[in-house]
Amino acid sequence: MRRNVAIIGCGQSKHGRRTDVSQCEMVAEAVWAAIEDAEISPEDIDAFAVGNMQGFGGIAQPDLVFTDFIAATGKPVQRVATGGTVGGSVAHLGYYEVASGMYDIVLAVSWEKHSDSAEPGATTGLLHVAFANLSYMMKMGMDMRSFAIMGLAGAAAGVSAYQAAQYMARSGCKIEHYDMVAAKARRNAAKNKYAHLKWPGCTADDIAKTEMIIWPMRFGHVCPASDGASCVIYASEEAVKRLKVERPVAWVKGLAAYADEEADQGESYQGTGVVDYSDQIGCIISAMKAYERAGIKDPRKEIDMAEIYAPFPHQELMFSERLGFFEDGKAWIAVEEGVTEIDGDFPICPSGGVNATNAIGSSAMQRVVECALQIMGKAEEHQVPKDVRNAVAHGWGGQLQFNTVMVLGDSPKRK
Amino acid sequence: MRVAIIGYSQTKFEYDVEMTREEMVFKTAKDAIESAGLTREDIGTVISASTDFLDGRTISNCMLIGATGAYLKDETKAEEDGMYAVLYACQRILAGIHDVALVVAHTHSWIFNPHQVSVYMLDPLFDRQNDLLNDITLAALQAKAYMKRSNATEDDLALVSVKNLKNASNNPYALRKMPDATIEDVLNSKIYADPIRELMVAPPCDGAAAVVVASEDFAKKYCENPVWIEGIGNSCDAYLRDRDLSRLVSLEIASRKAYDMAGISDPYREIDVFEVTERFSHQELMIHEGLGICGDGRGANFIRMGITEFYGDCPVNPSGGALSGDAICATGLVRLIEVAKQIVGEAENQIDGVQRGLAHAQWGLCAQKNLVFILGGDYEA
Repeated sequence: MRRNVAIIGCGQSKHGRRTDVSQCEMVAEAVWAAIEDAEISPEDIDAFAVGNMQGFGGIAQPDLVFTDFIAATGKPVQRVATGGTVGGSVAHLGYYEVASGMYDIVLAVSWEKHSDSAEPGATTGLLHVAFANLSYMMKMGMDMRSFAIMGLAGAAAGVSAYQAAQYMARSGCKIEHYDMVAAKARRNAAKNKYAHLKWPGCTADDIAKTEMIIWPMRFGHVCPASDGASCVIYASEEAVKRLKVERPVAWVKGLAAYADEEADQGESYQGTGVVDYSDQIGCIISAMKAYERAGIKDPRKEIDMAEIYAPFPHQELMFSERLGFFEDGKAWIAVEEGVTEIDGDFPICPSGGVNATNAIGSSAMQRVVECALQIMGKAEEHQVPKDVRNAVAHGWGGQLQFNTVMVLGDSPKRK
Repeated sequence: MRVAIIGYSQTKFEYDVEMTREEMVFKTAKDAIESAGLTREDIGTVISASTDFLDGRTISNCMLIGATGAYLKDETKAEEDGMYAVLYACQRILAGIHDVALVVAHTHSWIFNPHQVSVYMLDPLFDRQNDLLNDITLAALQAKAYMKRSNATEDDLALVSVKNLKNASNNPYALRKMPDATIEDVLNSKIYADPIRELMVAPPCDGAAAVVVASEDFAKKYCENPVWIEGIGNSCDAYLRDRDLSRLVSLEIASRKAYDMAGISDPYREIDVFEVTERFSHQELMIHEGLGICGDGRGANFIRMGITEFYGDCPVNPSGGALSGDAICATGLVRLIEVAKQIVGEAENQIDGVQRGLAHAQWGLCAQKNLVFILGGDYEA
């Protein structure tokens, strides 16, 4: 039987270039903030869910090094890692640990410390994703054409540039719309004390003045490589009662993570690679299933705001359509009308989003944290003025193929 | 509600295998689904287990969506042993969101030497910089500490290897088989770090394993011979220098939890077979103590008296264990499969009348994390 599960506390470390702390200290910063926010003691925690992209910080299984820092010694710890979605996957794992009835209170934390690797950001390139397959090619004599395709893909920004162009072709939007979305992210981030790239009062014109890196992507469109950690604490409905939590909590109503085929390479040796990267069928199905599990029929009406995983501005437009908030190819009209601003009718990424702060492992978890804060009314300066009853936290990753969707609400009721 | 194992498969463990990861994973996943009598459409969620460092690439699951059959399915990846992925699959089923889950674990050791990866598991600021530690030298420290605390000798360590490598000779999936092994063979094999010899180290290799788990309702409806998961215990210890290396405290916690869940008070009498992950031979003796099947410091008595032989009172690793082949992420999952096989009567070194078995997986340096599953047959129904 599925139990009702609530988020009773959230914590974030400050995000940015954190050379002042070690990976252990940075994660502990978020964990202890969450424990304080939940008003529990570390002994109350029954189990842990952890995850990051271990290559980016240079430690294999880093959680094993700092179990003491996060009060996990002697407790059950489970680890997941799925690329950009890892924060979302950890959030899902923590939910399932409680929903299964196995544990009552679970702490889920995910993080990234890019500045620890010798070349920050270099490991995020697709060449590293493909490295092992290059070894197979050398060993087994696979064709060099596959090699060429991998080389052409470039890093995450490279492959997303194809996606941005494909999205423009399908929706008819212009680069100016990308400028508007990026400016909104920088502007909102200025109100968020944990964010990385802040630019108070940033306008689309400011972004338009930045250098074109790879068409249609300008320097101002690209996310930073941040360091940071995000954490939530889940409790079952019984535990919420037992702990006598009176303040507002955020209930998890539905979640899903349906995987698509990887975006490139498929064509040459796996058969069914995705041709149009802006299709995002995985996201459409994940949203459909999450809404079904949450009892939501009309997402545009029933959901009040969303935190979308969009390191690049076209993805905010694209995913807001795939998540069912706008019609396919029409999100840019909503941006022109100011619908997605903090004080708009349907605020998207009031925290500044991944475009302003991207500590890979932390990013998708931060979307969950931000949605929970909005529901609890604790988002401070970037709290949206409207009532938030339901919110959607989205994560994206893999080779443009993984999506995590979580619907949070202010009451445990599902229709 | 209970969860059942309704299908499983594994590949032969080899080194430098002439197969891509995708081919190997595809074959194992397909075999497991077929052994459950299902098709891909019946699977609700897919959880794979592998790690980015061992796989030598970032997002190690991203190119396996086709191979695992996870295309347009609720998918995720546990970044540790496959048995942890089974734990997650159980949680997904118990939450009532899915009925059937496929778990696939795989490692190709030739891509990136796992002993090298162990160096990256060290604290980067001090332990890694001093250039003295890796999984083998740490195992040597642990073995010395354990031998000092208990009555175990180097001969006992060698005897564990002899027993497991003999058992492995009947196992068609095993990599290292030595039907005629002697204590002298083990002690005369190449010394790695005193007292650890080559034949006391689980040989890293290439392999994959998969299981299909299902909810109680589904298993009763569609499976003739389900193996029930009766108890689960999971615990993580502190990092190296913050714990007593000569004891597996997290295993003590994990096993007690699993016994409680399964209603076991005397594991020695109530469990018929044990399959454990001993990355080094001394760890098997430490695991006896951690599991509470022998007294403190008496692990070695068990091996000397032949109690843990497959014909003994308390068989441990009749399949040959990790010492017969270690495809890192698949190793624990294979232990689970071997116990399931013993229960349905399909094992190579079959033990008579197995009703209940214990499978153990470890993760981290010096077995920092331990996970215990208790499996049982359909005798209750």
